[in-house]
Amino acid sequence: MTPDYEIPPEAETQLPPPNKLTGRLSRYLLNRYPVWPIIDHLSKKVVPRHRDTVWYNMGGIALFFLVVQIITGALLMVYYRPSQPWASVQRIVMEVPYGNLIRSIHNWSANLMILTLFLHMFSTFFMKAYRPPRELTWLSGAVLMAITLLFGFSGYLLPWDDLSFFATRVGMSEIERAPLIGHWIAGLARGGADVTVDTIGRFYLLHVMVMPIVVLTIVGIHLFFVQVQGVSEPDHFAALPPEKKRYHKFFTEFLFSEAPIWLFLSALLVALAAAWPRTLLPEADPFAAAPLGIKPEWYFLSQFQLLKMFPGKVEMVGLLLWSLIPLGILVVAFVDRSIPTDNRGRWTTRIGIVALAGLIVYTIWGWLP
Amino acid sequence: MKKNTRRSFLGLLSAAGVGWLAAGLYPVFRYLSPQQAPDPFGKDGLAAVEKITLADVAKPNMGKNGGYGGRGLIVFRNAQGELKAFDSKCTHAGCNVEFEATKIYCHCHGGTYNLDGKNIAGPPPRPLTELGVLEKDDALFVYRLGGARPAQA
Repeated sequence: MTPDYEIPPEAETQLPPPNKLTGRLSRYLLNRYPVWPIIDHLSKKVVPRHRDTVWYNMGGIALFFLVVQIITGALLMVYYRPSQPWASVQRIVMEVPYGNLIRSIHNWSANLMILTLFLHMFSTFFMKAYRPPRELTWLSGAVLMAITLLFGFSGYLLPWDDLSFFATRVGMSEIERAPLIGHWIAGLARGGADVTVDTIGRFYLLHVMVMPIVVLTIVGIHLFFVQVQGVSEPDHFAALPPEKKRYHKFFTEFLFSEAPIWLFLSALLVALAAAWPRTLLPEADPFAAAPLGIKPEWYFLSQFQLLKMFPGKVEMVGLLLWSLIPLGILVVAFVDRSIPTDNRGRWTTRIGIVALAGLIVYTIWGWLP
Repeated sequence: MKKNTRRSFLGLLSAAGVGWLAAGLYPVFRYLSPQQAPDPFGKDGLAAVEKITLADVAKPNMGKNGGYGGRGLIVFRNAQGELKAFDSKCTHAGCNVEFEATKIYCHCHGGTYNLDGKNIAGPPPRPLTELGVLEKDDALFVYRLGGARPAQA
């Protein structure tokens, strides 16, 4: 057999010996696919060791929840019927063995994934990892955050119970308030002037096909950027003399240090799902009065509260105030500069603290009865 | 002249590509666009009230949520014994309002209307849409206000 590609000499010194199975397999592959530079690059990837290293785990944890969502979501699709939404979810909850557990894990994992993404985003923000040359990594992350929230919104309707029906109606009326295109987008999403079973078809398609494809593609791009550029070093770490900088190797030291976290989170998901299973309220009745105490999921509570404070004609003010946060996320990577002592850097941090405090305060405020 | 052949060919190709894309996307766009909802009122201008019987609004201060033509509505009898009907979609965020003896109330954000459907408290920006209501063949029917009143049986 003549090899198509020579194995580089430096690879020979690092590969397992050729008399072992792994050694033979890796040589077999490298003879056919000249990917040694990629493997070499990845094997040199490091994670800075400092007091904030724990925050580097957030992206990996979010990825763990994404995998859980794909597995439990696929399992739910086995019994879910968009033509009989409520009855099929009731069957999952009442009749299918472990159906209630799988549905509840899907719900808990979704909520924890969004929480993790908030932590990931804010830790990235305060460590200033969004600055050049990482603007596009930050932007792709912001897009992923937005799609994840839409995942929550679209999945919320699918059980078609009392709460999900009216919550979606309210959510769509918020979208209608967007200037110029609001009505058109809301009509397109609902498939009509009102939320009906036609809306389920559209939300279902978005939830199980369109958004997963988009998310997996952008996650791929996001991770590719991180692999190519390496992990960002915060200013206090970058300022250290080289001999004082300590690193974890990413493969496999850091990656395997996440394994106990995955095990813990798996157990946590099962425990949460068993202790607080997702409820299924009575089937949505488009003729009935809205149920008492209707509230959106916690990650939409801050908007909910802000809009409540600016009723009627001044509602636009609330909408504008809230849209400052996504707007700030979009522009910050292009405004802030990679100079530790720069004044802009101090101001973005201060604004970030105010935005985070505002989000927390409004979320708690909206949560209170 | 000859120099431009390649460029003009590519230009032609992209123009054709744009046309091809538009021709393909237009049916998809129409397919996804919401269809015009059918008029809930029949040829006689009436829509049957669902889930509310005459017994539900037999006496003053009685009222109930129901539907007409796939939409929600409330029908009630006010203290003067007059039958009233409103589309139940709250003008604020689209939840269904409820008749509460002295007022019409929305649980979602606390929107409050008086018994004439006028928004008096909370976030609703406009009054509720009032409907004409009549009894016919021991059932309730609603009709659009503002036009000619349909003939009563």
